[in-house]
Amino acid sequence: MAHDQRGTIPGARFVDPKILARVGNLELLARTVVDGLINGMHRAPFFGASIDFAEHRGYVPGDDIRRVDWRVYARTDRYYVKQYEADTNTNFTILFDVSRSMRFASRGVSKLEYGSFLGACLGYLAHRQRDRVGILTFDEDIVSHVPPSAKHFEMVLHTLDQAKAERPGHLSAPLQKMAEHFKRRGILLLISDFYDEPEAVLEAIKPLKFLGNDLIVFHVLDPQEISFEYQDASSFEDLETGEQVPVVPESFRAQYRALIQEHIAALSTRFSEQRIDYALINTSEPLDRALFSYLSSREKLMRVR
Amino acid sequence: MSFLAPLFFVGLGAIAIPILVHLIQRERKRVVEFPSLMFVQRIPYQSVRRRRIRHWYLLAMRAAAIALIVAAFARPFFTKGAAAAAVASGGTREVVILLDQSASMSYGDYWQRARDEARKVITSLGAGDKATLVLFSRNAEESIRATSDRGRLEASLNAAKPTSGATRFGPALKLAESILARSSLQRREAVLISDFQKSGWTGAEDVHFGEGLTLTPVSVASDNAANIAVPSVTFARSTFSNQERITVTAGVANKSTEPASGIPVSLEVEGHQLETQSVNIGPNSTASASFAPFTLAEPTVHGIVKAGSDRFAADNSFDFVLTPSQSVSVLVIDSGADRNSSFYLSKALAIGTTPPFQTETVPAGRVTPPMLDKRSAVVLNDAPLPPGLAGGALRQFVQRGGGLLVAFGNHSVWPASEADLLPGHLGAIVDRAEGRGGTIGFRDYSHPVFEVFKAPRSGDFSAARVQRYRALEPGADDRVLARYDDGAVAAAEKRVGTGRVVAFTTTLDDSWTDLALKPVYLPLVHQLARYLSQYEQSSAWSTVGAVVDLSARLKSRADRVIVSPSGLRTRVAASEPGLLELNEHGVYEIRPATAGAGRPDRIAVNLDPAESDLAPLDPRELVAAVTGRASQTTASRERPAELTPDESERRQSIWWYLLIGGVLLLAAETIVANRLSRHERFL
Repeated sequence: MAHDQRGTIPGARFVDPKILARVGNLELLARTVVDGLINGMHRAPFFGASIDFAEHRGYVPGDDIRRVDWRVYARTDRYYVKQYEADTNTNFTILFDVSRSMRFASRGVSKLEYGSFLGACLGYLAHRQRDRVGILTFDEDIVSHVPPSAKHFEMVLHTLDQAKAERPGHLSAPLQKMAEHFKRRGILLLISDFYDEPEAVLEAIKPLKFLGNDLIVFHVLDPQEISFEYQDASSFEDLETGEQVPVVPESFRAQYRALIQEHIAALSTRFSEQRIDYALINTSEPLDRALFSYLSSREKLMRVR
Repeated sequence: MSFLAPLFFVGLGAIAIPILVHLIQRERKRVVEFPSLMFVQRIPYQSVRRRRIRHWYLLAMRAAAIALIVAAFARPFFTKGAAAAAVASGGTREVVILLDQSASMSYGDYWQRARDEARKVITSLGAGDKATLVLFSRNAEESIRATSDRGRLEASLNAAKPTSGATRFGPALKLAESILARSSLQRREAVLISDFQKSGWTGAEDVHFGEGLTLTPVSVASDNAANIAVPSVTFARSTFSNQERITVTAGVANKSTEPASGIPVSLEVEGHQLETQSVNIGPNSTASASFAPFTLAEPTVHGIVKAGSDRFAADNSFDFVLTPSQSVSVLVIDSGADRNSSFYLSKALAIGTTPPFQTETVPAGRVTPPMLDKRSAVVLNDAPLPPGLAGGALRQFVQRGGGLLVAFGNHSVWPASEADLLPGHLGAIVDRAEGRGGTIGFRDYSHPVFEVFKAPRSGDFSAARVQRYRALEPGADDRVLARYDDGAVAAAEKRVGTGRVVAFTTTLDDSWTDLALKPVYLPLVHQLARYLSQYEQSSAWSTVGAVVDLSARLKSRADRVIVSPSGLRTRVAASEPGLLELNEHGVYEIRPATAGAGRPDRIAVNLDPAESDLAPLDPRELVAAVTGRASQTTASRERPAELTPDESERRQSIWWYLLIGGVLLLAAETIVANRLSRHERFL
């Protein structure tokens, strides 16, 4: 197993995605990546029955009176209920974009593969924390759906393993359908390359957010999609539509880079505004480093909250 | 320049390949899959820049190289050799200009246009070319013979004018063919300038242009040429109060696709207009106009029928010359023994109108020589030779041109002294009374007497039975006109001097034969009387081109002066053969050269009725019939010169240069393209 020496986090060991791609078993892969990297960093964002106290809040009619903190009432003569961090038994659903654009790979590992590694790792992480893990793959429609369950981790891995990017994708239609499914709040992990206008992406995602789900967005891009390092004039074919456009990369490059960065920035801003966790994942980066950087930043956010 | 394998020019389509490569192929040879072109498509980019051909000279080099190679494969060769070069420099063309000057060319501006066309041909002549101007109508004649002198040709052309002749292409084309066939020049061509009337070409003319001779038709005909014509006039003669009256009926034709209404048709006699009528004529049809009869008192009265006016005036009038009918005087001599022996004969002759016969019947014993004066014919009808005529009077009458018919019967006695007047040796009476009698089995239909019976159902001689006849043994010079069914002579002729003697071996009454009771009797007697009196019906008009024998028209043997319709006077000596060709439309006058010799003879001459039909034929049809080729190709216009193998190879060797040029261009293109591609990483 190779170690990436370019890592910026001292002491951490990172696994090259190309090597990960050789690991046929997703569970083994997830375990390899996750074990030894983090343990207990992840925490449920919801308040509930737990041993970890979070805060007091004012009593409102309908609250269970058993939750009333009588000690505080004795001191202040006001009713407060105690709230705890609900860090277990939450629903963890992976929303995985399997549209044809995810098939793209410029350096061995496609976005689809990278996304499935990512999903497997985070699923494994959730499973280890006794969360119910489910998955939903979609392109222009819902492709497969495994409802969250403590026993469904194997099925989730199988679904990730079998995922194929065959059809063009579109966010709004399948995500609206999904919103109807999620009656219970949970963590939604959305993995996609978001080839759509930021406003349209946000419009598609909002219904999920309205239900109170904790939405984590992974924006997976190939390094070529970001840097556009092509040399020869060629016909570029859109993987989604099949349309071909003659492209002279040399004259396109600067403008393309500006446009994609603008797109990333717009997405990042919009998601932040909606309090949605957004992470840009470059498929050339080691998977565990991506996970590490994300989870670290998430933990910081949790602390802030 | 021509090509041995012109199909290779299909390969010129390959010129499109470099263009396609420029425009399409270079951009499509690599296809890069990309997740989404969402951002690429937002980048403003001048697509024209990609499609624009920036290196025109490179493209031109490629296209030129392909064109040269294709042209090399097509094997070009020069058709023009030294001879052709000589043609270009002039002097090797033999041109025959056939200019139609028939009457129809005077229609509208036909003649002017025809002369202009001829002038164009003359102008196109090179310095050394030779041209012959042939003017033709019914006949063709060389106006100017094979000359390079344009001035003479022009002068001759200017002097030409339309005649009254009918159109006949045959003689003109034959003349052109003979002129061209004799020529030794390289290119030999005939240019036929005409209105191409259908009537001028029957298709039966035996004209064929050999290989190397070309015929170029130049038509001056205009579509829907309208024409009113008077093609014919008929006369009905009647006698009123001992004067002959003539009723003129004129036919008027409308040769156009439009109806003609209110066409005035007038009759003029000796310059006085007698009557005018108005007729309506449908398209391409005819109408007739009958005029009130007028009295014909004098000989050679000139009349004209005129109908309407149009662009072809010559056929709008019709001339005629009428003379009062002249009777034929016939002296019938019978035996006097039987009063009825000449009954049938005299009655039959009395019926005749064309000509009317004046018959006088005299018994043989009372005949005197003066009775023969002013007689046209004498009939000895079952009578002995009159004593008054024996001894030379009758012989002299016949020798001067008189006619003698001898019909034998019971009373016929022919002296031996006059035996040589008869066509043969007279024999005994042959009695065919047994059975049903004999019939006239053989007739010589080539003889004028029996010619009218030639056609089927034109006279049944077999119905007549002959009981008796006199045997006649014809001499070597005598002509047998008819024979009985047993082979004996029924009629024979002998020429004596300028006169004629016909012997009929049976009677002309009903004593020996019932021929007089049969329908054929009347025409037979009329034909015999006409023939023996040498009667010729004078026609009221002739057609342009006809030839008349003046000696037959003028009895005197003096010198004559002929005045043509155009006023041209020609003196014809008495010793010259008096043949006159009628070439002009109008009235010819023929008078004795001595002044004051009385009323002149006149001959009315009209256009050929076919000349009035201006409908043209397709000139290509005529060309195909004459040349045997549907169209005249440039190749066929030039006489193919025999080429040596060296010359053939030399004319075709150009493909080498083309191929080398194409290869050199390709090499240059490769170098240039490589240099360009070094400087440009992409196009």
